[in-house]
Amino acid sequence: MNERDDIIATQGITIHMGPQHPSTHGVLHLVLDLQGEKIVRAEPDIGYLHRGTEKIAENLLYHQFVPYTDRLDYMCAMSNNLAYVQAVEKLLGIEITERAKHIRVIAAELSRIAGHLMAIGAWALDLGAMSILLYAVREREIVLDIFEMLCGARMTLSYLRVGGVRYDFTDGCKEACEKMLEILPGRISEYERILLGNRVWVDRNRGVGVISAEEAINLGLSGPALRASGVKWDIRKDEPYLIYDRFDFDVPVGTNGDCFDRYVIRIEEIKQSMRIIRQALRDLPEGPFNVDMPELVPPPKPDVYNNMENLIHHFKYVSHGFKVPKGEVYSSIEAPKGELGVYIVSDGSEKPYRLKLRVPSFHNLQTVRHMSKGMYLADVVAIISSLDPVFGECDK
Amino acid sequence: MNGRTKGFNLLELIKKVVFTDFVKGLSITLGYNVSRSITQRYPDEEKWIPYRRWRGLHYLNRDAEGRELCVACELCSKACPTQCITVVPMEDDSGRGIADRVAKVWKVDLVRCLYCGYCEDACPTRAVRLGREYETACTDLASTVRRREELLVPQALAENIEGGVLVKSRLVRTPEGIKVEPDLRRHKKRSL
Ligand code: SF4
Ligand code: SF4
Repeated sequence: MNERDDIIATQGITIHMGPQHPSTHGVLHLVLDLQGEKIVRAEPDIGYLHRGTEKIAENLLYHQFVPYTDRLDYMCAMSNNLAYVQAVEKLLGIEITERAKHIRVIAAELSRIAGHLMAIGAWALDLGAMSILLYAVREREIVLDIFEMLCGARMTLSYLRVGGVRYDFTDGCKEACEKMLEILPGRISEYERILLGNRVWVDRNRGVGVISAEEAINLGLSGPALRASGVKWDIRKDEPYLIYDRFDFDVPVGTNGDCFDRYVIRIEEIKQSMRIIRQALRDLPEGPFNVDMPELVPPPKPDVYNNMENLIHHFKYVSHGFKVPKGEVYSSIEAPKGELGVYIVSDGSEKPYRLKLRVPSFHNLQTVRHMSKGMYLADVVAIISSLDPVFGECDK
Repeated sequence: MNGRTKGFNLLELIKKVVFTDFVKGLSITLGYNVSRSITQRYPDEEKWIPYRRWRGLHYLNRDAEGRELCVACELCSKACPTQCITVVPMEDDSGRGIADRVAKVWKVDLVRCLYCGYCEDACPTRAVRLGREYETACTDLASTVRRREELLVPQALAENIEGGVLVKSRLVRTPEGIKVEPDLRRHKKRSL
């Protein structure tokens, strides 16, 4: 395979890439065994950003943990919020309102767009096409502006709550979304013109980091990277949650399983997300955006101070939280990076007995070893970028 | 190998030499070069005024008669996931607060704060709110803990201003530090 292995015999060396390397997406530390410029073995060394999120959850009330999920995949915090509150709701066995479902779909897809834009921007930057980063971040800003209007934060959103959402989706937000849907398609075709016309960028991705469908499944790859290998697996389609089964959208699938396919899938997914948002905005019903259960969602403020019963609910919720029935539950969503699952064991109290996060970045990262075997050192950068790991999430 | 194109092709070579591939991309980049800049000139000339729901620096409210709304019920510190609010209650019937119970100490440690807004949601009297102040950078750890006295000052931005705009601003240097002074009368939408 390696064309001149027999002629040139160099001494193998081991180098450390990261954790403070500009193109390792944060704090990834790779130990690379090299033979010349070829990779013999690539070993990711993780844990530099470990904060013990799962353990923290055991000491917090169920509703208090939501802000911590923002800090997992901070590029698309809404998806993490969704995965967590959905798991708690499943354990509680409650059904949220129609309006809340629509709002959640819109919010989750917005965060998918924001996440993919950042992924593509950072990826292009790593491979030397810096202007794309500036353009992608500019478009991401539009999405973050919508988030700011919606929930008062740009990255650490904490927007979803058990039982619904924290603030209503106003008409202003709706207009901003429509504006975004107008602007984005043109901008994305600009990226495509720049990147697909850039021979260096295309050559550094095409045929690089190939992983077969079978291998990808065995290693637990998920998300756009799995679909690039030709496996049509999207939780939104295959195990629909919220109301994804009502919307008309396609799941893009690649053929080669290389970095270039992973790029194409991400671009296509942004377009599909826009389709979903458009439909959800069209169907957005009026009505309450929280469940009518005062023990889960305390009554609105003006009612609290004048009504004894509401005041009691309010105090109870704030100081003791709510009890969750005994049992265990696993619930997963299709986050921008792959399958994000939350597993909760409840002992019937107000705090989780154990919480386990199945984070896509962690599982995806283990494929680096297989993808980079026999590749050049410079290809490793493309491979990491194409997997788009985020270390807030990977290291938990 | 690796599916990369191999072999000799004159046309390909010419393309490579004169960078025809880049021309398309460059035309976009050059187009932006001559179009109007969208860069925010913060803090010298412009400042972003956040939307109304913005969760920034905390502040404590007073009622219309100037009495403190906080009744030192400690719900905010209970609700806080990081336990960064400290409330010490005391009796005071001199009319400082709306009730006989007022806060002797009310402080928040901004380094621990997640800006989640749960304290604001928890407060039954709407005493604590997260305001639209976001310039919290400082050089000493001591000023990251904000106390009641500092938090009771009225907000520079009135509640009814919608926000989401850029306003003209001026960077002021004083011996105490630097400050950005916004001029709320001249605002514009962010160009996208
Ligand atoms: S915003 Fe959140 S973390 Fe900060 S003081 Fe309030 S409750 Fe605590
Ligand atoms: S700020 Fe509000 S919640 Fe906190 S102690 Fe005062 S009244 Fe209670």
